Amino acid sequence: MGAFIIRRLIGLVVVLFFISVLTFLIFFATPGVDPSRQLAGRNPSHDTVLAIKHEFGLDRPLPIRYALMMKRLFISRDLVSYGNQALKVVPAITSATPVTFSLVIGAAVLWVFFSILLGLLAVVFKGTVIDPLLMILALIGISMPVFWLGEMANLLTQDRLHNTFLFSWVPPLGYTPLTQNPWQWFLHLLIPWITLSVLYVGFYARVLRGNLLDIQSEDYVRTARAKGLSPRRVLLKHMLRTSLITFVSLFGLDFGVLVGGGALLTEVVFGLPGVGKLTYDSLVNLDLPVIMATVLYGAFFITIMSALVDILYARLDPRIRPA
Amino acid sequence: MAEFAYEPEPEVRLAAGEQIQDIAGKSPWRLAGRRLLRNRIAIGSLVLFVLIVAVSFAAPLYAHHLAHTDAFNSNVSGTTVVNGKRVDVIQQGSGKLGLGETPIGATWHWNYLFGADAQGRDVMARVLYGGRASLEIGIGSALICCAIALVLAMIAGFFRGWTDSILSRLMDLIWAFPVYLLAIALATVLLTKENGLQWGPIHVDPSSLWVPTMIIAVVYVPYVYRPVRGQVLSAREKEYVEAAISQGASNLRLMFSEILPNVLSTVIVLLPLMIATTVLTEAALSFLGIGVKDPKASWGTIINDGQGLLYTRPLVAIVPGIMIVLTVLSLNVLGDGVRDALDPRAKVRVGK
Amino acid sequence: MVKRSVIVSSAVLALVLVAAGCGGGKKNTSTAPSGGGAKGGTLLTLANDAFSGSPDPQVNYTLQEWQLLIMTHDGLVAFKRVSGPGGTKLVPDLAESIPKPTNGGKTWTFKLRSGIKFSNGQALTGNDVKATFERIFKIGDSPNAGSWYNGIVGGDACVKTPKTCSLSQGIVVNGSTIAFHLTKGDPEFLDKLAMPFAFILPASTPTKNVSIPPPGTGPYKWAQYAPSKQARLTRNTFFKEWSKDAQPAGNPDEIVQKFGLTPTAEVTQVENGQADWMFDPVPSDRQGEISTKYASQVHINPLTETEYFALNTRVPPFNNLKARQAVNYATDRNALVKIFGGPKLATPTCQVLPPNFPGYKPYCPYTKNAGSGKWTAPDMAKAKQLVAASGTKGARVKVNTLTTDPQKSWGNYFVSLLNQLGYKATLQALSPSLQYPYVQNSSHKVPFAWSDWYQDYPAASDFLNILLGCGSFHPNSNSSPNIAEFCDKGIQAKMDNALKLGITDQTAANDLWAEVDKEVTDQAPWVALMNTKYLNFVSKRVKGFQFSPQWYFMLDQASVK
Repeated sequence: MGAFIIRRLIGLVVVLFFISVLTFLIFFATPGVDPSRQLAGRNPSHDTVLAIKHEFGLDRPLPIRYALMMKRLFISRDLVSYGNQALKVVPAITSATPVTFSLVIGAAVLWVFFSILLGLLAVVFKGTVIDPLLMILALIGISMPVFWLGEMANLLTQDRLHNTFLFSWVPPLGYTPLTQNPWQWFLHLLIPWITLSVLYVGFYARVLRGNLLDIQSEDYVRTARAKGLSPRRVLLKHMLRTSLITFVSLFGLDFGVLVGGGALLTEVVFGLPGVGKLTYDSLVNLDLPVIMATVLYGAFFITIMSALVDILYARLDPRIRPA
Repeated sequence: MAEFAYEPEPEVRLAAGEQIQDIAGKSPWRLAGRRLLRNRIAIGSLVLFVLIVAVSFAAPLYAHHLAHTDAFNSNVSGTTVVNGKRVDVIQQGSGKLGLGETPIGATWHWNYLFGADAQGRDVMARVLYGGRASLEIGIGSALICCAIALVLAMIAGFFRGWTDSILSRLMDLIWAFPVYLLAIALATVLLTKENGLQWGPIHVDPSSLWVPTMIIAVVYVPYVYRPVRGQVLSAREKEYVEAAISQGASNLRLMFSEILPNVLSTVIVLLPLMIATTVLTEAALSFLGIGVKDPKASWGTIINDGQGLLYTRPLVAIVPGIMIVLTVLSLNVLGDGVRDALDPRAKVRVGK
Repeated sequence: MVKRSVIVSSAVLALVLVAAGCGGGKKNTSTAPSGGGAKGGTLLTLANDAFSGSPDPQVNYTLQEWQLLIMTHDGLVAFKRVSGPGGTKLVPDLAESIPKPTNGGKTWTFKLRSGIKFSNGQALTGNDVKATFERIFKIGDSPNAGSWYNGIVGGDACVKTPKTCSLSQGIVVNGSTIAFHLTKGDPEFLDKLAMPFAFILPASTPTKNVSIPPPGTGPYKWAQYAPSKQARLTRNTFFKEWSKDAQPAGNPDEIVQKFGLTPTAEVTQVENGQADWMFDPVPSDRQGEISTKYASQVHINPLTETEYFALNTRVPPFNNLKARQAVNYATDRNALVKIFGGPKLATPTCQVLPPNFPGYKPYCPYTKNAGSGKWTAPDMAKAKQLVAASGTKGARVKVNTLTTDPQKSWGNYFVSLLNQLGYKATLQALSPSLQYPYVQNSSHKVPFAWSDWYQDYPAASDFLNILLGCGSFHPNSNSSPNIAEFCDKGIQAKMDNALKLGITDQTAANDLWAEVDKEVTDQAPWVALMNTKYLNFVSKRVKGFQFSPQWYFMLDQASVK
């Protein structure tokens, strides 16, 4: 186990390094990109742009600029956005993190619960009309773009049906910290949770159903049935565990991305000031410091989740040794 | 205890309603084909899919002969005939202040069946034309993605050790990669270079659909790789695999004969689901400038166009969405049918 | 100045600026009593993004921040804080009166008002004034240091060596008398003093960019600026109103601008009464809704701005005058207005200067039945004739525009149009953060590019000289506002004359500017599209909406109680 942890930590550092270098290079390979012009704001005089270039060290060679940026990001933590000099990058990310965590963990709880429920129901009722019906619902969910779904949700809950008993409880868009007012925190996040989870439930339910059907006639399942266990016990205790391997793999990937700022559009549509919104704004404005910080933040969580999932495999299927 | 003694899997599995005589002497592939053909629901969904493809390719016929509309040129100041009256395609708001210019809504006739978009173009015609691009990119990238992921996952899961470590870290890198940044950068580069990019022998034509297809395919490889690798790890540990290795069976043969059939089922489940994901990702990339460019259409770009009309003409975003659902649905059902045909899990067992 | 600071980030957002009389517009043209509304409450405003760039008042060039800075800071002079044309006049603010320049227009002597305090309790002195102007140079990145304020004696030296900047020769302080000495006469000097770059700051303000505007003399002060959250202004307890015209006392106790919602979400919040005003343009698919159900909360006001596509006069095919004129004749400006949001929100134009602007005389040669000065219809036949005569048919043209609407749709329109005229046109849409510097750089050889221009202050040179003057073209620079790369010696000489004439006779100068506008339009370096209007949407409880032609919605003059 110790060797595993050390191996993965080295892997983490390697991944972060490569990602940061690639991000840096891609940014500066984009034609028309000129950080000193960005920093100079709107309509600067030509000399102003040159002065800024020099002051921010933007006229130095690329590797030095990279090193400077990494130092400002990790060591002195005073990295400042190119697009808005009042925005300090590290504090912006730390204050955005709880918002993203709240959104993603809540949505994850919902989608895991409902996809397992739907997957199990589809298998139990295979052969009846319920199976295809659930499947159609699931597929509609994954075929909807998140931006559209979110805006539709807003259209109904904030605008058209806002004054009806259905949705008058929906608070205005935004975020209330859990520590400030737990009930408001919950209300603000409820619709975003549902919206985000709808996109994943379908995928996971289908995958789970597929895996459950596959192992129906595996040896250990037949053994369990032969032992006289009830079908439900067999299903839940024996089949579910090994059929969760695919489920858990996908979850690790999706959760890692989302927690690392991947829920950009959800956060934008619902006005949640999380890491996803920061990522989105930084891409729109081509703001390298914030892009770099959010990319590294995301890469960190993705790599960690990947390691956690590998550990989880070993628990689900004792035959597998952790990589 | 004798009742728990290991019993070898029967060599043959039968689908519902099959007799042992039906399958005697036939090759597995032919058997699979037969079973598939007898699965009426699967055939129905195949027909639906073929219909969607056919209709997309028939877009020019629709536009010229049925609808008499132009799906590509701006028609902001144009007019059309609805219920015998000539109206503006884009109409000024009627409120007290006369604000807002709204395209016409669904006419439920061949002419502007589902209405017009913000440029005055026929939505239905665009949806049909858009089908080609979406199907090409969506299905193409999903297939390429699954193929690459399958091969890599089998290698990693089978050989384990350093091979697995390196491949898996590479996958982490790809999954964490800032694709949207790359898309913006690449789009800008392609826009500003006259004749596309030249990377050694590879020439990248700015309007080629290969660019988004390959980007999407590569980006989702980790998503298929991980579950398949998990399945490979699991299958590899099976007793008969160890037994076969100890008997000196070659790796390649083992991978194909023992591991592959077990993981193929997972891939078949994932493939149609990935198509929904790839089509939607194509929408995002097109928005950023990689892929289908105005005035060309894809289901994704039409959904993007529909975002600005959500409060007045929601159909513009809904119609392509329905096309995506139908495509994904038909392919999922077909996928189920294929899985059943390849390896039916019947309750009937020969000999027991 | 260039387009407003908001970078549209949603998929499709129509920039809708509407200028028409608002309900009760007639009342607003007189000098309505300011601050006459009920005091108290919090005015909650929304904006998608925080103000881009540094928030330092001497650096920031966004209308979004300027609207707030006028409530927290003052200059020696100010634009009269009223709606209607009166709002373009200059009145004394921190100075007791507006002097007449002496010494051939090179010396301006002001007397500073007494008894004015900054929001930190410090008293305003002449020293603060001198330090403020030196700081413009010292901070190094003030955008107009080298173009607006270098006329002060010592200014040019300060541009070269900012850190040791001293304006002791240029600004002479004698107790409460401050004399500005310029190197040559400048008819726009007072306008420049009224701009936020020259708002007076305490001398103790550090000489590097601040992350929140420093204390000022206005009725409000900056309590908070968190770019990912909000900006908050609270009352300056040391403020006592000294001139209703220049700096009226404000009505709300607090003014907040929250960031982070999409424009369509902002519309919904204002409709629901959860917010009072949105800075961003109203998306086109909400306009019908607000103009039917919430018509009384909508105010449409004219803007002095022009939307245009620049034709590169140095790169084929538009280095050919006939080709440029052809595109002008072929353009259906009505279709473009329709894309923008309709005739209530924009008016077609053929020329550079916007209506109601010094030097504006209606002129439009590029229409059917020319002569009235108004554009009526495109003349496709004439356009095709000109293209044939120019010999540029078949040339490749990249139409450069934004990736967001309506500019993208305008771009698509022009691709179609140019192809119709016989060119080979393709669309080149760049993200808003890239497009403006990109098209300014001559090394990119962009033949046809969208841009727009909002006035800095009401002076014809602000449009004509900055956008089409020879001195505004800097080859191979990302900062060269003359996108059309236009330079005509004869016209430039006329512009220089007009500038000189303005020192003594602004009216005659404006006549000269009108001639310049006409001659430039004839040379067709632009396809001018339209002048847009600003659509303001306020909540039900907002009373006393007033729109200044210089600063637009005057936030603190409205009341929420």
